[in-house]
Amino acid sequence: MNRTEYMAALRRALSVLPEEERASALRYYEEYFDDAEPENEQKVIADLGTPETVAAQILADYREVTAVPQPDGTAASKANRRRRGINPWLLLVLVLLAIPVGIPLIGVLIGVIATLFGVLLSVVLVVLAFVVVVPLCLLAAGVILCGISFVLWGMPASAVMTLGCGLALFALGVLVSLLMIKLCTLFVPPLFRGLVALLRWPVNKWRGRTRKNGGEAK
Amino acid sequence: MSYPIASSLLDGIVLAVVERESTYGYRITQDVQKVLEISESTLYPVLRRLQKDGCLTTYDEAYAGRNRRYYKITEHGRAQLRQHRIDWQNYRNGIDAIFFGGDSQ
Repeated sequence: MNRTEYMAALRRALSVLPEEERASALRYYEEYFDDAEPENEQKVIADLGTPETVAAQILADYREVTAVPQPDGTAASKANRRRRGINPWLLLVLVLLAIPVGIPLIGVLIGVIATLFGVLLSVVLVVLAFVVVVPLCLLAAGVILCGISFVLWGMPASAVMTLGCGLALFALGVLVSLLMIKLCTLFVPPLFRGLVALLRWPVNKWRGRTRKNGGEAK
Repeated sequence: MSYPIASSLLDGIVLAVVERESTYGYRITQDVQKVLEISESTLYPVLRRLQKDGCLTTYDEAYAGRNRRYYKITEHGRAQLRQHRIDWQNYRNGIDAIFFGGDSQ
């Protein structure tokens, strides 16, 4: 290790100090090397010990000085300086620590919302299919059976029975259609209202809370 | 054999060295090392602390094409040094009394 490498290592080891403190320490040791003469460079490095040991002594003393209250009021400014020096780092660490927790949480939230939406959509589709497809099938079956009965005029008994079944199914289809239409008019508007109310619930709750807080403030 | 040096004693020693004449870090280390076994990295924190406590001030002086930082004792530093001398005297008398049986009463 030469002098330049030694000073670079010392700068790194002192990186937690405020800029002013670090600059002061680095200047002292730069001068120390200068005053020791170039031919003594390796001896100075050996005598000083590792940059980490040198830094540890400076840091230990710095903490002691900033922690001890001073009667002339400099303690307050020192404490402030220290708080200002540490807080951004603390914040950064907290943010970094929160990332591994926060990203999966957001993922889970998106997943839950997507799942709920999918379930809702499939229920609506199934109900729609039931409401539309069942009456249509009954009507279609009735019409087809009536049609077949005309082909069967060679066997009057079968033809009459098929025609009868066809007319009965058609009638049933008409009845079921009317029933479905009635059910839709009965249930769709309240369902729609319910859905809207469900979507608005969180917004209302938030609004209500801010209103309540505003009231308390007065 | 050597005794561990308390930081208050080190403060007094550095103040005494700087009181004799304003001087720079390397010289202070060399002077103190003549009488005490201290490592080369011991004195910077002491100098920095004394400076912050108002016992020492610094000024820069050109030397060999660069600026050298000198330490100078302040009035507050001189008062502290007087107290250190009194404390040391009391301490030494006490130890002497035990070691050599002198009368310290």
